[in-house]
Amino acid sequence: MRNLLNFLARFNNLIIFLILEGITLYLLSTGNSYHNTRVVKTTRGLAYRLEQMVNNSRNYLRLREINQVLAIKNANLLNSLENVMKNRDSLFFSVRDTIHLQQYVHTSAQIVNNTINRQKNFFTLNKGKNQGLGVDMAVVADDGAAGIIVGCSQNFSVAMSLLNIDFRLSARIKSNGYFGSLTWDGNDYRYAVLSEIPQHVTFGVGDTIETTGYSAVFPEGVMIGTINDFERSGGDFYRIRVLLKTDFKRLHYLDVIGNLKRNERLELEEQFR
Amino acid sequence: MINNIIRYSVILTILILLQVLLFNNIQFSGYVNPYVYVMFILILPVEIPSWLLLLLSFMTGIVIDLFSGTPGMHSSATVLAGFVRPFALRINSPRDGYEAGSFPSMFIYGFRWFLVYSITIVLIHHLALFYLEVFSFKEFFHTFLRVLLSSLFTLTFILLLEFIRKGR
Repeated sequence: MRNLLNFLARFNNLIIFLILEGITLYLLSTGNSYHNTRVVKTTRGLAYRLEQMVNNSRNYLRLREINQVLAIKNANLLNSLENVMKNRDSLFFSVRDTIHLQQYVHTSAQIVNNTINRQKNFFTLNKGKNQGLGVDMAVVADDGAAGIIVGCSQNFSVAMSLLNIDFRLSARIKSNGYFGSLTWDGNDYRYAVLSEIPQHVTFGVGDTIETTGYSAVFPEGVMIGTINDFERSGGDFYRIRVLLKTDFKRLHYLDVIGNLKRNERLELEEQFR
Repeated sequence: MINNIIRYSVILTILILLQVLLFNNIQFSGYVNPYVYVMFILILPVEIPSWLLLLLSFMTGIVIDLFSGTPGMHSSATVLAGFVRPFALRINSPRDGYEAGSFPSMFIYGFRWFLVYSITIVLIHHLALFYLEVFSFKEFFHTFLRVLLSSLFTLTFILLLEFIRKGR
């Protein structure tokens, strides 16, 4: 305490100077629109560069793991390619129809910004309209649902994370096919809540929850997570806590899935609303 | 003491009025904007406590800012000038030191002393002010030329006012 007082007494001029100068610079950067713009621009540029540096080094450290994931993914894709080829041989199709049989386009993207500690979480991807991304495409990480794109600029996209209290997703229990609605309750980033499953349905802890494809955003059968525990809520329904497959704290490489036949389907459905 | 307060209040008022009504409207081809109100910081008593000096500089700057619609710009520069003043006084101190209770005046310490002293502070003030106004180091030398020319004019006016002050 004594030392602190001595220090203050010794440098009081400097401290007063710094305080006053701080006040004036604050006034300068908030009161004048020109200065404000320049300050914001500079700080944003710096923050972006820093973020990229951190990101780059983090990428490097995770290369091994990412490699493994990619290898597995590659194998799976090769398998499904095989299926598609076989299907082709046995069906009628126009030779020029390049998207014959193909309903979903996959684009890989990297995450450049992510939050998990708010009530409404969003993350940013490093690809945008120029790379073929668009609003309402599904975002999948390591084969687990992660979010939906809600906005695109030329080279970036913002996606609403599954960890957003406004997020709704149609999901079902894989073993018996009963579907309900998946939301996030805003508490723990590892768990989501599946509701609207009637009480006569039987299932067990550890059962897989996957997407239904009813929303025309996510393809059918993308894994979301496993049942952690459940309780009866209200009259007829269960409230199921789902342990999410995606680890939102270390999202990195993502798969963005666009539905090529989405508009066609929505238009048709629109007629019967 | 009370005498001093009244005197400096009058000087401050006159300087601010001069600055706002007259000098703010002088702009030769965008290069010359004299800021004569710095003189107030120059001629405060030698033995004024530093905190008061800083506070007075801050207030002067805020008032000028209010009148010219540039919050923070002038006050930032004047606070810097107020901070530098004790150092400028120490570096330029005459051979037998400052007399107790005196003012930094041309007629006590001589023309040459006053010139060097005011050049130091006016230059620092103008450098801060003009670079804050441009807020970038693009066209560095263009801004620097503006600083030099404006400082020249400010100094001329300050010397003139100092003569008038003593002549009265």
